[in-house]
Amino acid sequence: MTSLRADLRLAWELTRGSDRGEWWRVTLTAVGAALATGFALAAVALASLRGWYHVPVASGLLNEPGTRSGVIAGLLLLLVPVLGFLGQCARIGAVHRDRRLAGLRLAGATPWQVRRIAALETGLACLLGSAVATVFSALLLLRLWDRPTALTWAGIALVAVAVPLLGAAAGALALRRVVASPLGWVRRVAPRTGRGPGLLFLAGLLLVGAAALFALLGTSSAASNRPSIGLPLTMVGVVLAVGAGSVWLSGAAARGMGRLLAGRARSAAVLIAAERLRDDPWAAARTHAAVLLVTVVGTGFMGIREVFLDVVRSRENLTERLGYYTLGVDLTGAAVAIALAITLSGLAVGTAESLATRRRGLAAQAAAGVPRAVLGRSLLLETALPLAPAVLLAGLGGTAIGTWYALLAHRPVPWVTALVPLAIYAACLLAVATSLPLLGRSVRPGELRYA
Amino acid sequence: MIRMSTRHILLGLLATGPSHGYDLKRRHDERFPQARPLAYGQVYTTLQRLVRDGLAEVDGTDSDGGPERTTYRATDEGTRELARWAGEIAPPAPFVANEIFAKVVVAILSGGDPDGYLSAQRAAHMGRMRELTAVKAAKGADLATVLSADYALNHLDADLRWMNTTAARLTTLTAEVDAT
Amino acid sequence: MSRPVPLLTAGGLTKAHGRTTALRGASVELHTGEILAVTGASGSGKSTLLHCLAGIVRPDAGSVTYDGRRLEGLPEKRLSELRRTEFGVVFQFGQLIPELTVLDNVALPLLLAGTDRAGARARAGQWLERFGVRGQEDLRPGELSGGQAQRAALARALVTGPRVVFADEPTGALDSLAGEQVMTALIHTARESGTAVLLITHDAQVAAYADREVRLRDGAVAALGVKA
Repeated sequence: MTSLRADLRLAWELTRGSDRGEWWRVTLTAVGAALATGFALAAVALASLRGWYHVPVASGLLNEPGTRSGVIAGLLLLLVPVLGFLGQCARIGAVHRDRRLAGLRLAGATPWQVRRIAALETGLACLLGSAVATVFSALLLLRLWDRPTALTWAGIALVAVAVPLLGAAAGALALRRVVASPLGWVRRVAPRTGRGPGLLFLAGLLLVGAAALFALLGTSSAASNRPSIGLPLTMVGVVLAVGAGSVWLSGAAARGMGRLLAGRARSAAVLIAAERLRDDPWAAARTHAAVLLVTVVGTGFMGIREVFLDVVRSRENLTERLGYYTLGVDLTGAAVAIALAITLSGLAVGTAESLATRRRGLAAQAAAGVPRAVLGRSLLLETALPLAPAVLLAGLGGTAIGTWYALLAHRPVPWVTALVPLAIYAACLLAVATSLPLLGRSVRPGELRYA
Repeated sequence: MIRMSTRHILLGLLATGPSHGYDLKRRHDERFPQARPLAYGQVYTTLQRLVRDGLAEVDGTDSDGGPERTTYRATDEGTRELARWAGEIAPPAPFVANEIFAKVVVAILSGGDPDGYLSAQRAAHMGRMRELTAVKAAKGADLATVLSADYALNHLDADLRWMNTTAARLTTLTAEVDAT
Repeated sequence: MSRPVPLLTAGGLTKAHGRTTALRGASVELHTGEILAVTGASGSGKSTLLHCLAGIVRPDAGSVTYDGRRLEGLPEKRLSELRRTEFGVVFQFGQLIPELTVLDNVALPLLLAGTDRAGARARAGQWLERFGVRGQEDLRPGELSGGQAQRAALARALVTGPRVVFADEPTGALDSLAGEQVMTALIHTARESGTAVLLITHDAQVAAYADREVRLRDGAVAALGVKA
């Protein structure tokens, strides 16, 4: 395999010789892969348990198959924002990488070779992340569990290998247009249709959803006498439906807002933001979809939490300690919070990347006297405008879940959860605002010197 | 610049119909703006030679109220000769006759100031280019004016570029000239 | 007879980018309505000189005076306002926002100056027509030819009626015919409105549109051309 070795060396040289953006991509991709591996490994380890099993963490929540399946589903659902984050990472330095690989193609590399180099670049970063996560997970597992079963080890090995492989495949897939027409890609940056990533996201979502479903059915079979299985199943269905819609919704919201405001804008900042949204509504659809999903889940969760705790407190004949119930709820809450954090960092990374790609144009605008404040405002509006209606709708969806649950339990509707979408919206704007210092550095006149 | 053949240009002007000497000179200067204007004496002697060689003949005389003037027309042979010349390619720079280069070399040989000379020559070239550009960019300039100014501008620009690279390499040139 | 006070004066400008020094004591004067070409080889400091004069970068040493005001004392906010209102800039490319229509791009400086959208668009339309970009107002800059895009960029630079236009290789990416159209449009408009132009170019044929030439060599003024 001398050619593979040559490609590997080329991939390494290209990464090493590239600018800071590339290193950011490699680092963040590795972090994302490590998170994905960690969550998947935890889910696999728990899924390999059969029946009642004493697990020395989480105050007995993991002992019983029923509650354990819930935790597994939660872990798998956490993969959704992680995948979104990985997708976002792939976009860092994307323009430069596309040009570089197109250059390779012009220099005589075969399409297959270019694809392999790209796959190696992403795959190696994912391998790094997954290796680190696997090693630490295995060490932790050995501390907690005396004799893990062969099935557990097999599952761990499968996850450790699958993450880098999937990463490599995604890397190759992302470059299909570059490979197809090297010349066209070098000359111009074509607008993305965004349907590809949207479909990809949807497919990933369905996959994870199905996996969560199977995990639920598989581990719960030992306790099939429990009547509550229909509830989580329906919930997964609702979350999935709302999630699938959210990708479309975020793109449609961006396009709608762009069209609506482009003609009516009175200020330069609104005009620039609206035209950018109209030009490429799918640019941020993935990240925004993740925000919407977190909003639905977060709002729904808060509603369910309020009602559930109300029910638990009012009931006298509890079979377990109160901590058993609240811990489960708190764990879910923590998972939602982690998902929110990952989504927000995806948003921040996406904004930073958008700035880095446009830095020459932004520097030219600043040189022509467009105030930095106007450029900053248009950057914030670009996220704020399309997210406003989308988060509102997602919040309504989440509130509907909470209301529905409250009606089932014959409890008062927890209206306080309506604050959750507001908080998430504010957090999103803050995440975008973290890129504003980068704007200051992007508009340096030094950027005018290079084409 | 490639030397223009006055004979053939006059034959070309006669191709539109019989014409007399003064009219030919006026039409030449109009048709070829920015070119060196034809002297009337030159037009007259050239016409005489064309008649001698059988390429043109006297058409007649008209006075038109003023002094009597001889009108000329092209012969069939003249028309054939014109067609031959118009189709013939112009020899691309057969000899390198570069006065500027000669002056630079002489300046080096005689211990003069080649850099200063090039600088002054450059300024003169730029001055002429500004004049031609002003003519060309003037509102209402016709295409013939624009094209002939462009021709000169491109040649001056070529000289200028040559002067820039030469100025940048004067040290090496001085060493080379002094060594031989 | 004393010469009139120059509109823009730079004295002893020095500017380094990291370890390379772009300007070493360059001095230049620009008078009202004058068209000045700054020429020189690549790396002679032409663009840096323009950036210093337009208040886009602050020189390490030396001073820039515009209309009696010292630029180095002004905060970035005031400099930005100055560039927006009194100056116009044209680069080789990249000064039009790719997502905005051609008309909105030209209207943008007016919008920033507080003109209402309809009024800004109307005036932008007049300028585009003047520069021969008609019927393409609603296209994106990427859909224009290079020459049309540069003429639209000129319209954007001139729409606010600036006193100085800074043009950095405005024809650098164009063929000679398109370049000629851009230069003719720039010169005619500048002459009519009495706008001063600082024109950076490496092309003598473009420099010949100017009244005067300043030649840079290694970051300093090498020789002054004679006024035609």
